[in-house]
Amino acid sequence: MNKKSLACIILIIMFIPVITGCDAIKANSKNPQTLTLWHNYGGQLKDTMDDMVDEFNETVAADKGIIINVTSISGSATLHEKLLMAANGDPGAPILPDITTAYPKTALILAEKGLLADLNEQFSSQELSAYIPEFLQEGRLLGEHLYVFPTAKSTEVLFVNRTIFDRFASDTGVRIEDLLTFEGIIRTAELYYDWTDKQTPHTANDGKMFFMPDSVFNYSMVAYKQLGDEFIKNDSINFTSPKFSKVWECYHKPAVLGQVAVFDGYATDLAKTGDIICSTGSTAGVSFFSPTVTYADNTSEPAELDILPYPVFAGGKKVAVQRGAGMCVIKSTKEKEYLAGIFLKWFTSPENNLRFVSSTGYLPVTEEAFGEIMSQEIKNISDDNIKKLLQTSRIMQKEYQFYIPPLFDGMDELQIEYEKHLKDTVAESRNTYIDLVNDSDSAAAYEAASNGKYQDFINK
Amino acid sequence: MNNILMKKIDLIKQEIRKTGTEAVPMNLRLFLFLLVLVLTIVLGVVVILFITGTFTAGLSESEHMIENELLHAEQGITKQYGELSIQAIEFSRELSGSIEEEAHKLGIPLSNLQDHPEMLEELISNEFDRSLFFLQRSKSSGVFFILNATINPALDNAKNSRAGLYIKNMEPNIISNSAPNIIILRGMPGISRKNSLSLHTQWKMEFDVSDAPYYHRPISAAHANHKLPLSRLYYWSTVFTLPDTSEEVMLCSVPLIDSRGNIYGVCGFEISTMLFKLSHMPNNNTFNRLFCMLSPVTESIELNKSMVAGGYSARIISKGDDTLKISENRRAFYSYRNQDNSFLGIHKLAHLYPKGSAFSDEKWAVAILVPEEDIVNSITRLNLILISLLMILVILGIILSFVLSRRFLKPITEGLDIIRSTDLSEAPRTRIAEIDDLIDFLAAHNEELYEKASQENLSISILDKFLENTQNLSPAERAVFDLYVKGHTAKEIAEILCLSINTIKTHNKRIYMKLNVASREELLLYISLLNEIGSDI
Repeated sequence: MNKKSLACIILIIMFIPVITGCDAIKANSKNPQTLTLWHNYGGQLKDTMDDMVDEFNETVAADKGIIINVTSISGSATLHEKLLMAANGDPGAPILPDITTAYPKTALILAEKGLLADLNEQFSSQELSAYIPEFLQEGRLLGEHLYVFPTAKSTEVLFVNRTIFDRFASDTGVRIEDLLTFEGIIRTAELYYDWTDKQTPHTANDGKMFFMPDSVFNYSMVAYKQLGDEFIKNDSINFTSPKFSKVWECYHKPAVLGQVAVFDGYATDLAKTGDIICSTGSTAGVSFFSPTVTYADNTSEPAELDILPYPVFAGGKKVAVQRGAGMCVIKSTKEKEYLAGIFLKWFTSPENNLRFVSSTGYLPVTEEAFGEIMSQEIKNISDDNIKKLLQTSRIMQKEYQFYIPPLFDGMDELQIEYEKHLKDTVAESRNTYIDLVNDSDSAAAYEAASNGKYQDFINK
Repeated sequence: MNNILMKKIDLIKQEIRKTGTEAVPMNLRLFLFLLVLVLTIVLGVVVILFITGTFTAGLSESEHMIENELLHAEQGITKQYGELSIQAIEFSRELSGSIEEEAHKLGIPLSNLQDHPEMLEELISNEFDRSLFFLQRSKSSGVFFILNATINPALDNAKNSRAGLYIKNMEPNIISNSAPNIIILRGMPGISRKNSLSLHTQWKMEFDVSDAPYYHRPISAAHANHKLPLSRLYYWSTVFTLPDTSEEVMLCSVPLIDSRGNIYGVCGFEISTMLFKLSHMPNNNTFNRLFCMLSPVTESIELNKSMVAGGYSARIISKGDDTLKISENRRAFYSYRNQDNSFLGIHKLAHLYPKGSAFSDEKWAVAILVPEEDIVNSITRLNLILISLLMILVILGIILSFVLSRRFLKPITEGLDIIRSTDLSEAPRTRIAEIDDLIDFLAAHNEELYEKASQENLSISILDKFLENTQNLSPAERAVFDLYVKGHTAKEIAEILCLSINTIKTHNKRIYMKLNVASREELLLYISLLNEIGSDI
């Protein structure tokens, strides 16, 4: 061994403590990166989400050096507004988080401002192949950039207060199957109004509302799709289609007559107080239904919820809207984006995804989770409502076509404007109807209240 | 003779070389000296670092940082809670006056509110705007008032059901009055619909006060202390979850008292765990898992009654054991431990109540905590860096010592090689004065030696001639000569050889002639010289 080799060996031996010392710092590092998370899984979903975040922080995150810190739990509308405020740097706006749940419409605005990280970089094509392609497709914006990662999706179903419906059905002979079509629902709503009106014979025209579509915009889009047309054409509403008359017919008339609710809030608000017993809404809304109905005198009764597939217009195709926010990663450092990717992979792994789904009412996002595992998991779910919901979702997954609403600049404003215009028109007719109905028969009052409204509406 | 001398010189040279190889070489000796110097310096640095507390600087720095965070958090919390307390008192005064006035108009005495449940919705609905105004002004996450009455006294749970209004602001940190943020948690649905507000997903019409210290305690305190003003009667609940809801909150409640002293409910504000978290999250640049707590404090901290703000989830800490035991450390920080977790930090009493308050015996503390392992890791990391730097210093010192010792000795060894060379007089200069002097000296010395040796060679040749001449002696002369060599006198030789002294003298003359000496003294000198060099005569 020559002197040089000996010197090298001595140097290496002397540096070993330094080198191993450095390794020890890395291996024992308890100085993780904090990733802030905003989500819209509030209310009953909060416990599930909190448990999952805690579990992640205790297991994978502890190994990888991540802390997920939830810094906002808001409703999806508030979250949308808050994200836009933060993105625009409005006064008083908070700093954008590292990860947030967002609808594609919100994500598009953020992506256009260059605020979102492309998640294609965090997932290999093999990893992405495990996810349901339609769900991934919904999150691909501005080309093929994957900006919204599907974490839990939803569609719309029909929720029915079975307790009240059964009471009504036993008196009137209506069947739950009648609720499978919009036309059936409208007929049933009329019968329900009459049935409730008769329960207070001393007060005329005080029948109760039966049905409410949670989003009249979704209702209109899906109606067109079911009937074979497109509601949105050239980034505006296709009022020239004859299909709109069907949309109008099944909403305007029963709403003016007080059988269908026109309400700015969620249908669950009215369902809580027994003001409606049937509504179409997001599967994720299942946890918003109270197990009891509370009446005006603070008496309450347990309410069994039934969940049916999304109604279809007579002769129409089985189509339902595809909904649900995904998760977006805000562009920051490569390290943070990588760590956020780890969280998303963990959160959407079939086992964790199903755990989340089975206590919230969302739909799983991987083929594996939607398959046999889900049918097994359904058996173990203790919450009857979630069980019913997932069973219905599986049926819809097999039989329905899911419609992804178009996404373009101004879509949000278009939706807001349409809903407001439609509700205002209906409310106006309804007020006129109420004024007239006590002095004339219902049909004449409706005729007077709705005269020319359709033309006015589509021409405005 | 020459051979013998040369052999002798060779032997001396070999000895010198041998000594050189067996003893410690100069370069190693110098390297070791320099190494000792380096190690002494490094040791000195280590001692200085110890004395100046650099090895424990991380701990002091962390303590200082956490103290600052505590100060900041304590000020923030005291301000927020203080302002909310003041506003709750103001809310109570305004609400009491307004409800009393309205009740008076309706002809209902507030002492008998329960006798007129049909009036409750109107009474409550009238206070919606005021409540919403206070909610938005207070920047709290909720405002509520509860009247000592229920809308339906006939219900089974009527004695625990109280009518009122609870409005939540889901985003109190955002300066925005947009409707989706404001929702109704408790209250008649007519109020939410009239004001186009949503019902909370966990909405109920009335408050369940079966286990509601936030309702009973301020009312009891007001009953027990008639003369105490509202500023001494407000009450901060510990963290709890309202029945049938998911979110943990703290409520500040103040009794509602009419002008006649009737106590007919409470009102106040909410601080949700999210609001607390967003308002008081400590700066976690140094420690990611640093968190702030507001806790009712005794000898321990009850986690399930505490507000927590930071990157660390209180739910994780409190799993299994929700009590953190506090113990004081000798050096720095307090220790806070439960079954599975250990934290270091400091705490300070927070004054949620003024002097003379009915609840002033309830102690609250603000604490800043960090997992113990995070602090230990941070200090270890700092010290590892220091040790690594010292190691690098030592290694560089060793390398430098090695290089310097070699470079320093290079001219010396070259000088030695020159010295070892045969001709010093023509040796090149080394540019080191001492070595050049030595070479000069040795060159001069060598010359002297050669001169001596030449002289010695001359003497040796005379002796050799003398020895050669002894070969010419006759046997009789040789016998006489040998006895001279043995040191005998002429007389002794005459006796030994049984010859006359004259015969001896004759032999002597011949010997002198043949050996080319002039006298017996010269002869004896030659013999003596030959004996000295050990030559065989």
